[in-house]
Amino acid sequence: MLRKKQEKRNAVSIRVLQVILVTMMLIFAGRLFQLQIIEYETYGPLSLANSIRQENVSPARGLIFDRSGRMLVDNQPIYTITVTPASFDPRTIPILTEYLDIAPEVLEERLLAARRYSWHRPSRLISDISFHRFSQIQENIWKLPGIGYQVESKRHYPTEINGAHIFGYLSEVTQQEFRSSRRYNLGDKAGRSGIEFIYEQDLRGELGARYIRVNALGQALGPFEEGQMGHNPVKGADIYTNIDHDLQLLAEDLMIGKTGGVVAMDPNTGAILALVSSPGFDVDRLSGRIDMDYWMALNADSTNPLFNRAISSMQPPGSTVKPLMGLIGLDFGIIDPETVITCRGGFTLGRFYRCTRQHGRQNLVEAIQNSCNTYFFSLMHQTMNRVGLNAWHQHTASFGLGQLTQIDIPHERRGILPDSSYYNTHFGGPRDWGIGDLISVGVGQGTFSSSPLQMAVMTSQLANGGYRVQPHIVDRIVYPDGTAMVKSNEKERIPWIRDDHLGIIQLGMRKAVSEGSGRFYADISGVEVAGKTGTAQNPHGIDHGWFVSYAPYDNPEIAIAVLVENAGFGSISAAPIAGLMMEQYFHGRIRRNWVYDYVKTFTPRESAESNSNNEEAL
Amino acid sequence: MAWYRQFDWLLIICWILLFSAGLVAIYSATLGPVSQFLPDYIQRNFLNQVVWIGVSIIALAAIQFTSPRTFQQISYALYIICIILAIATVMWGLEAGGARRWLVVGGLRFQISEMLKLATILAVANYLTSRRDISAEHIGSALVAVVLMVIPSIIIILQNDTGTALVLLAMIPVMLFWSGLPYGISLFLISPAIIAYFTIINWKLGVIAALVLTVAIFFIQKRHWLTGSAFIVGNLVVVGVQVALYQILKPHQQARIEAFVNPALDPQGAGWNVLQAKTAIGSGGLWGKGFLEGTQTQLRFLPEQWTDFIFPVIAEEFGFVGAGLLLLVFAIMLMRLLGIAGEHRHPFAQLVIVGVTMTFFVHLIINLGSAMGLFPVIGLPLPFVSYGGSAFLSYSIMLAICLNLHFYKREFSIYS
Repeated sequence: MLRKKQEKRNAVSIRVLQVILVTMMLIFAGRLFQLQIIEYETYGPLSLANSIRQENVSPARGLIFDRSGRMLVDNQPIYTITVTPASFDPRTIPILTEYLDIAPEVLEERLLAARRYSWHRPSRLISDISFHRFSQIQENIWKLPGIGYQVESKRHYPTEINGAHIFGYLSEVTQQEFRSSRRYNLGDKAGRSGIEFIYEQDLRGELGARYIRVNALGQALGPFEEGQMGHNPVKGADIYTNIDHDLQLLAEDLMIGKTGGVVAMDPNTGAILALVSSPGFDVDRLSGRIDMDYWMALNADSTNPLFNRAISSMQPPGSTVKPLMGLIGLDFGIIDPETVITCRGGFTLGRFYRCTRQHGRQNLVEAIQNSCNTYFFSLMHQTMNRVGLNAWHQHTASFGLGQLTQIDIPHERRGILPDSSYYNTHFGGPRDWGIGDLISVGVGQGTFSSSPLQMAVMTSQLANGGYRVQPHIVDRIVYPDGTAMVKSNEKERIPWIRDDHLGIIQLGMRKAVSEGSGRFYADISGVEVAGKTGTAQNPHGIDHGWFVSYAPYDNPEIAIAVLVENAGFGSISAAPIAGLMMEQYFHGRIRRNWVYDYVKTFTPRESAESNSNNEEAL
Repeated sequence: MAWYRQFDWLLIICWILLFSAGLVAIYSATLGPVSQFLPDYIQRNFLNQVVWIGVSIIALAAIQFTSPRTFQQISYALYIICIILAIATVMWGLEAGGARRWLVVGGLRFQISEMLKLATILAVANYLTSRRDISAEHIGSALVAVVLMVIPSIIIILQNDTGTALVLLAMIPVMLFWSGLPYGISLFLISPAIIAYFTIINWKLGVIAALVLTVAIFFIQKRHWLTGSAFIVGNLVVVGVQVALYQILKPHQQARIEAFVNPALDPQGAGWNVLQAKTAIGSGGLWGKGFLEGTQTQLRFLPEQWTDFIFPVIAEEFGFVGAGLLLLVFAIMLMRLLGIAGEHRHPFAQLVIVGVTMTFFVHLIINLGSAMGLFPVIGLPLPFVSYGGSAFLSYSIMLAICLNLHFYKREFSIYS
């Protein structure tokens, strides 16, 4: 009886177990059916995508040439070590640090970053290692699982030109840029300043793609379908600049040890022939793996080498604006070429504004030639009284002062060209400023500031007959398919300019060089140079020297503006530099070696005792 | 009847089919194009497996010549020896993949935990059927049986081999159920596992499962104290699993469970294995990609593809047809084993065969469930298919004992 009950129970138990077993098997069969038949459309492509990896191929960055087709910037191979975290063996860290010569902490940090990116794809571990270290890694790659290498390219500067502020530096794209754009590979470099930044889109080129079979470790196993699916990268466009190699080289050389900026341009087109900001920096050291120590040093440097003084410095232009002031006076009818003002060593309006010496009777040409402050104090006084500040502002602004020139390098600054709203904002209100604040503005002092670039533009427009110029470094961009984009320049004349007025001013500028303060260093043989020196008052130290010039006087080909900070009189600090550049440009060499030696050994002197606000030199 | 007519050839055929499928898959997973990414010692797996299969065939044949009483007689001794060896493994074993499960003797590596399963089944079966007054209906002897199964589980947990420990713990309700534990209580015993499974997916599902099970237990066995405790325990499990998930489990275990619930959350990390296994299976389609043609397998996307993840290899290369046939062979084998147990009249034999069957079954569902994303990934081999010498040998011995018990059915019954 008991046995029978037991057997019955066993039979039921077997049934229960069999039902459970069959149920589970059916569930699994169902799941298998779901995965393999119903969701095949999902998993089939997934497994294909898994084993096929699209790799971006970085294009070669465009080259940069000077005006004669000489190559200024090209690319050079750099060796990069990569890591695939999934197959990396942490025990190899000691040998790796030894081969790569980096601190273990740095390595750990980069490994962490690589892991965050992907466990199964290679990330850059270190870029731009020497060929020696690279070959060491290459030889021992078999004992370094997960370590790979890539040969990429970096910017290389084959000429002696530094050009840091023209070309600009590059740095690796950020995660954000990488994500927000399809144009970069992680680890690619993008221009951060100079034309590398402005023309990034052109220089960059188009990423190529190749499809390769990979395994889960990210190891490449060769092209997929014989590489038919990929496409080649499109090389970046080449850029032909207007830079004159020899002139640029000389300008850089002359500015070594000085602080300031030089801009040389074609006054007819605005083509930049040379552009120097000093102190500069070694763009080569920022072109590959960022040299962190150097980068920190640059940023900490109190002279701020990354700052482009040629386009961004804001210094009072001093007497260099006198020709323009005269032109404006003529147009407003406040003076005519015969108007004579007698200089007795200064101008009195509430207080005494000093001139450099007693010039006696001066007409406009003489006043420009001798840089007579009294003449221009008086002119400014009458201008303010008769047409007002804002009319004067408009005329001055039409020469580009206080305006952005729209040059094709970044971080340009507009400087200060005051109008009534400027004074209202900065001096308090309409009643808090007056004619007294404006008198010295008439000789380029006080609340008036500009950059060498703006001064070069102003000079060009005086030289070329009053046509607007838009300065540009790049002449044309040549795309890989052979098409070229030329930077066109429509000629537009500043409407209020009259040729007879301009002739007077040009004569004054010619005389300033042939007989005035420019005669010592800027009046070169064989070419008639016109120009104007200037000295900007510097309440914080030694004055800044300016010189603006163009040549030849009757048919200008080049305009040069030079600013040397803390160097005293423009006639002895800035003018020799422009003079030497003129010689280089017109004669192909420096004829006056003594001037070259003078510039190279120049030590600034106090231009005057800084006792008042009106010491205007020469 | 001729002796060969009494022998269960169906089981032998299933066995041969399974290990043949295993050899094909191991070959593909270790000696196919993928071999270029694998170290030498893994490439030797195929030949190792062939050797172990040879050894297992001899062992299986040899066991057919022993008397079924022998298994009863040696059960306690085997149990104690295996326990001692397992403790030795914990202390001096070889560590591999985070678990200390290998005992190295004279250059040979043994996985005692595999043998321990068999020893535990034999010992518990012997204990529960040794005397008429001992059965799981008496709470005292049920407790002894539970202790006999819990001790090896603890040792295996110390070896850090969660999968095998789970198998041993799963034996508790099975063995007690067969030896007369009321159905309601048996269901009550396995209910925490079911509730926990649903709680991991979603705690609301866990609560529903607890309620459904409580009702089921009430209908099977109308005892208020049982129903009440089923309700309370069920809900405690839901809470407990929640706490364990966020408070007690180690980060890598949490990650595994999260990866199971949502593998797409971290496809490069913890979800990787599940995602790649599912991709391998799913991309196999109806007919599969062909032998040595599976991209997931041959490009090394599958982890542990010669052991725990061998099923995706078969599913990828031989498709729904191949994988389905494999499931069918398993189903036939397990159903046949249960049939044998039902035909048998000796309680010891019944209990051993049921124990072995359910051991295989638990392996099967955990292994396939992990690969197909139905369970969190728990490392357990697929019996007879996965690479692993001592595992294959011990499963074969288990099967051999079942065959033996069946073969000597009449003689054995007389003694009972």
